Amino acid sequence: MRSYIIKRLIYSVIIAWGIMTVTFILLRLGPSSPVDRYILNIAARGQDVESVRQAIEARYGLDKPIIEQYFTYMGNLLQGNWGWSFSTSQSVADLIVTHWIYSFQLILLATIFAIVIGVGLGMLAAVKQNTKIDYAASIFSFIGISIPGFWLGLMLIMVFAVYLGWFKTYYDTSYPIWSLENIKQLLLPVLALGIGELAGYLRYTRSAMLDNLRKDFVTTARAKGLPEKTVIGKHVLRNAVLPLVTIIMFDLGSVVFGGAYLTEIVFGIPGLGQVSFNAIFANDYAVVVAVTLIGTFLVLFINLATDLIYTYLDPRIRYE
Amino acid sequence: MRESLNNTFVKNSFAAIIIALILVMALSACAAPATRGSFIEGDVSGGEAETLNWILAADASSFGYVGYTLESLANYDNKFDIVLRCLAKDIEVTPDGLVYTLTIRDDLKWSDGSQVTAEDYVYTLKNLMFSDWLNYNYKDDWQEDAGGKKVFVTPAVVDDTTFTITRQTVQPEFIYTLYNLIPYPKYIAVKYEGDVDAFTRAKEFNDLSYTGNLGPYKFKQWLKNDKYVLSRNPQYFLGRDNGAPFFDEYIVKMFGTSAVMQAALDAGDITYCGIEPQNVARFKKMQDINVYTVPTRGYNIIAYNQRANGWEGLRKKEVRQALSMAIDKETITKNIFLGFAEPAYSFIPSSSPWYSDNTVMKLGVAPLNDKQQAMQLLRDAGYEYAKNGDRDILLGEDGKPVKLLMVTTPGSDVVESMSLLIKQELAAIGIDVEVKWVQWPTLLRQYMMNREPGTDQEPRYNNGPRAVSDETWDMTLMAHNTDPLAPSGSRVFFASDGGLNSFGFFNNRVDQLFQKIRSEEGMNKDQRSLMYGELARVISEEQPVDFVTYTRANRGFQSNVKGIEPGINMGYNYYLWRFE
Repeated sequence: MRSYIIKRLIYSVIIAWGIMTVTFILLRLGPSSPVDRYILNIAARGQDVESVRQAIEARYGLDKPIIEQYFTYMGNLLQGNWGWSFSTSQSVADLIVTHWIYSFQLILLATIFAIVIGVGLGMLAAVKQNTKIDYAASIFSFIGISIPGFWLGLMLIMVFAVYLGWFKTYYDTSYPIWSLENIKQLLLPVLALGIGELAGYLRYTRSAMLDNLRKDFVTTARAKGLPEKTVIGKHVLRNAVLPLVTIIMFDLGSVVFGGAYLTEIVFGIPGLGQVSFNAIFANDYAVVVAVTLIGTFLVLFINLATDLIYTYLDPRIRYE
Repeated sequence: MRESLNNTFVKNSFAAIIIALILVMALSACAAPATRGSFIEGDVSGGEAETLNWILAADASSFGYVGYTLESLANYDNKFDIVLRCLAKDIEVTPDGLVYTLTIRDDLKWSDGSQVTAEDYVYTLKNLMFSDWLNYNYKDDWQEDAGGKKVFVTPAVVDDTTFTITRQTVQPEFIYTLYNLIPYPKYIAVKYEGDVDAFTRAKEFNDLSYTGNLGPYKFKQWLKNDKYVLSRNPQYFLGRDNGAPFFDEYIVKMFGTSAVMQAALDAGDITYCGIEPQNVARFKKMQDINVYTVPTRGYNIIAYNQRANGWEGLRKKEVRQALSMAIDKETITKNIFLGFAEPAYSFIPSSSPWYSDNTVMKLGVAPLNDKQQAMQLLRDAGYEYAKNGDRDILLGEDGKPVKLLMVTTPGSDVVESMSLLIKQELAAIGIDVEVKWVQWPTLLRQYMMNREPGTDQEPRYNNGPRAVSDETWDMTLMAHNTDPLAPSGSRVFFASDGGLNSFGFFNNRVDQLFQKIRSEEGMNKDQRSLMYGELARVISEEQPVDFVTYTRANRGFQSNVKGIEPGINMGYNYYLWRFE
């Protein structure tokens, strides 16, 4: 097992390096330049666009050949220097250290919320199949899957912040991360991000549970006189949860890369999603490459974790 | 007797209390308004500043952020009258227009308590802004053509509070560049001189810890994509007599969308933000919100491609006039901008002191908004019409129906509506328009940048009259800005060698007028006004672009904010704003 993990980690580093190299080169070969966004401002000041472009590119070393820029970047990276973000005027490392927590808390809470409620409701709906509870859960999950998180976020703000005044219209970074006020103000963003996932988990859990409930081992367990709680909780759920883990881990990857971004935008949460989105529009290469690299490692780590969780959930699975 | 004494005592005490109360009330009335609360300004993420180390900035927001903590030499009120800030008196210019003498106040201090001197300003110019190692973005402002060579102006220290700037050539609008000057503290900057990396990362410059008493607020915190927090500066040099500024904190809060930002204003979570035209009526009905509609520096244009890869008709003045005549500007201002814009006829905004309403050709507004007249102009230019059912179709020189390609960027409802209206208006004079939406970098690279075919020229926005863009196009819809006090900066668009003259407009008379405005002849303000009038006339007659609308902005404030003077520069006295 240990050699398997080491091998996977080595592969991860190689894959991440490949993705980083491709991102680095594509960004510089792309049609845009950091100066594009200033053109109208430069023009409004009656300036020569070309001289401003040259000044900016020279200052940040963007006028050098790509290969030279690449080796300089790699050299710095190996020394732990992620570069300088010219669109935020701080080091990329500082930028990430400051902002990751805002994304992390949102994704963590939304995922916990979606798993706990989604799996719980899914189990309930399966056990109470074809009852009012099952129908209500199905309707709820259809609505949850259909509503875009962006729109739901706006509606939650309009109702709970503007009309009822229970919350602020935006996320307030003045509150300490571990304070109750912070948890309270995360309620709406967590709902906006988590409802869609929750609805999905509800559907998957219900259908996986129903699949397993019909299997012979359940009949045997019941025939042996095991209490229903044990049958459901120990035998059915454990078998149903395996495909669910794949889906949850896959979702986690997509939330990290995109889903949380829209929620961050709507609620004004200054997380990594916003940082990377703004960096893309500003052609802030150092930030884009760093965030891509972190995202790549996260997804690779999530994949590895999924594989390892399988071995725990299903002892028949072994990696050599 | 005792009762009488008691009565007298009661009366006297009562009178004393009343007098004391009156005195207290009078004193409070005389005292400066109490400082309290946080003023929260909403902005959308795209408007976030990039750096507080202003010499490295290319965006306008960065200069705005720094401006809260660091006053320039002077600024302007809503009537464009100069309001002195760090200057002790207005700039003196020698009669030949070559030497500018600047005298700063003697009570300006850096954070270490040392005096801000003329040496700091001259050092900032000579050693930082004019240096090769730092590559200041706007160095063009400080350069002139002398004997065919581009040279910097010459700053020199006279004494602690006075310095001069000497030019070799006359440029009457150079004074506006001077008013915007802000200094770096020499005692800190020398530590980083020559090392661009160290200067870029210098802590003192990135947290504005050097600003002393130079601004109404002091830097407190900047969390990127979230908020920029400033705290009241009790030492502010302009607040000594009146206690300004009157907010404990000034916060710029970033929002991901304007919808949420406006919801925050509605909920009272923020104090001020811009309001989109479609929401103005709703906010105007709210008792807690005051909405001010003010002119801006912005205008929208339709640029006609007069280069060789555009429709050949666009190279004729009459054709361009005909097209502009067919597009109804009043419909655009009323139906698309909902009244928050006015028809435009010139690159000089109507709010500018240099605007001359009587010289411009008012195409697109009755009586010069006339489709029949437009069609006649096209016929006079040598084009013929053919019938297709009930419809007249304009034929090109090759006898085929004229079809124009309009390129613009997606993402704005206003641009989308304008594009559709333009398509409809030109269809009415027999011209089909295809609208193509491309992203901004693509618009810049494929359509605006150009080079001479068959050469290895590096693409630029104006590579001369023979240059063409990679993709063909006929029209583009864009938004521009003009400095109302120095509109000659627009030469970048309209002069033959203008760096952003991507549409290929070349006119000797226009070049001469731009040159004259920036020469000794322009020193006389009346003369300059006439020149601007003539320039606006020539450009509006030539119609290299259709100036469509001057835009107006709507600013929404919580109604308890007092001291606001609505106008084009309504923020000029923001340090006097207060809650009531």
